[in-house]
Amino acid sequence: MADAKTARAEWGTRFGFLMAMIGAMVGAGNIWRFPYVMGENGGGAFVLAFLVLLFLLAVPGLMAEVALGRYTNKGIIGAFRDVLGRGGLVGLGVIVLLVNIALMSYYSPLIGWTLYYAVHSLLFTFTATGFEAEPFMEAFFANPALMIGLHTAVMASVAAVLLLGIRRGVEQLVVYAVPALVITLVIMTVRGLTLPGASEGIAFTFSIQWEYLFEGSTWIAALGQALFSTGLGWGIALTVGSYLREYDDVPLGGGVFTAIGESSIGILAALAIFPVVFAVGVEPDAGAGLAFVSLVQVFPEIPLGGLVAILFFVGFFLATFTSGVVITEVSVTTLTEETKFSRKQTVLGVCGLIWLLGIPSAYSADILDYLDFVFGNWGLPLATLAIIGVIGWVLGPERLRLLAVNRNAGIYVGKWWDPVIKYVIPAVMIFIMAYFAWEDFGSPEMIGGMLVIVLFPIIGYGIMSVLEGRGGGPDTTDVTGGDD
Amino acid sequence: MVLTAEVIGMLVFTLAAFWGLATWSLVRTMRQEGRKVEILEHQDRMDTYSPKALAELREWIRANPDDPLVDDARRRHNECIEALEETDRRFYDWSDEEVDRLERI
Repeated sequence: MADAKTARAEWGTRFGFLMAMIGAMVGAGNIWRFPYVMGENGGGAFVLAFLVLLFLLAVPGLMAEVALGRYTNKGIIGAFRDVLGRGGLVGLGVIVLLVNIALMSYYSPLIGWTLYYAVHSLLFTFTATGFEAEPFMEAFFANPALMIGLHTAVMASVAAVLLLGIRRGVEQLVVYAVPALVITLVIMTVRGLTLPGASEGIAFTFSIQWEYLFEGSTWIAALGQALFSTGLGWGIALTVGSYLREYDDVPLGGGVFTAIGESSIGILAALAIFPVVFAVGVEPDAGAGLAFVSLVQVFPEIPLGGLVAILFFVGFFLATFTSGVVITEVSVTTLTEETKFSRKQTVLGVCGLIWLLGIPSAYSADILDYLDFVFGNWGLPLATLAIIGVIGWVLGPERLRLLAVNRNAGIYVGKWWDPVIKYVIPAVMIFIMAYFAWEDFGSPEMIGGMLVIVLFPIIGYGIMSVLEGRGGGPDTTDVTGGDD
Repeated sequence: MVLTAEVIGMLVFTLAAFWGLATWSLVRTMRQEGRKVEILEHQDRMDTYSPKALAELREWIRANPDDPLVDDARRRHNECIEALEETDRRFYDWSDEEVDRLERI
């Protein structure tokens, strides 16, 4: 084998670990979704609901996930095996793996979109005479060859970074890309706030409509943002945590800093985007409409608009690209451990597979939207349920807290944490899946989601039952039964 | 449009709650990292639990003698005590009296 498997890699620096967590969690949602959702759901009232849910769910959940990775020093499947013992139930880890691969298959084309706009910002296309945002975007989305080409370029770049390894690849990327993203947003904020009419954007985002606190939709929106934006239970935090060094802290960096820091970038994006949008009098929007139409219409109208466009789109690309790299690392880490393939072979295999599976999403934005809806509402909560369920109901939160969370910790985590992991987060995940199934009952998306919920566990169980050479029942395990 | 005091207040609160807390946690964890590096340059190991966390671990070990993970817990507990006894620089706020009172399990 080309590169023999030696001692497990570790983050070179504490800052590298922290930036890997932020780089993974900050993605398109922070930039093009969070500001609008905030403004549309009561501004300040949404912030309060969001903050409560971050501390109630995301912070403790991330602590648990990082701690499991750190405690086992393994990727998803290895960590699950350590807790569950050999057998078909390790297939719960396969669910997380499949969801990650599916997620990356439609996220890669989306990174391609940001790459395309970043390149055009560097060419000053958006401030050229006669440029029109909407026809430009429509022409782009109507060009499948270009989309597939961009998807290919993205997966090749992700593979190139991952081939360099944890320290020389992932860490070297995130320690520069994440601060660069923050700096670009800060510069854009300063530019936006100094424009006449910028206060309208501030008022849209930060005005307080207290009545929204009593509306279920506000809490559902805040819940979605708190869970999906922080990437809780997707295997990312577990994988990143598995590369922590002996004396590294988990709860302060992996929990508090990651959840709050990641959300802070959404707040900064709101400050960077909406003052500019409102100053020019363009309608606020979310998603591709905000980034690729509203904002693009704004740049020609403001002084130094060409440079602001470069800052925004390069920053946007960095946000999505770092997420893509770390999402892919989840599969690379676990498959490198679980197979006889070298890291190099695994990187090429995983990136090749994701590239292949991503072609339909690159070909059609409708397919991408469909998969995003299915995995966002059912696939990702299922993965979260698998990870937090195993910690809460098999390993036991008290054990994990005593053995890993509070060991070398920068802050002390008390007993309050145990019921949050065991009861609150799993209940919320089940609620989310049921809520969206009820909301979209009978729709193709709901049917797709139900297929994921039913088939992924069966596939996972079947694969691990065969691979582990057993009929499916767990062999021996050290920790079954839970502790409380 | 003139910003109202309420909007400005919310903006300040949001920045303090998110960026303030994120900055605090970043600075705190980086400083702690600096201290750990400094300690490990002076000695080859250090204490791994705070007094409160170690007391809780000890309590759990005594209450769960048959737990499958009790050996691992005991090892981690005793490892911390050894580090406290055999080194002079500590990461957590341990007093000499507290260390003297500690017993291996």
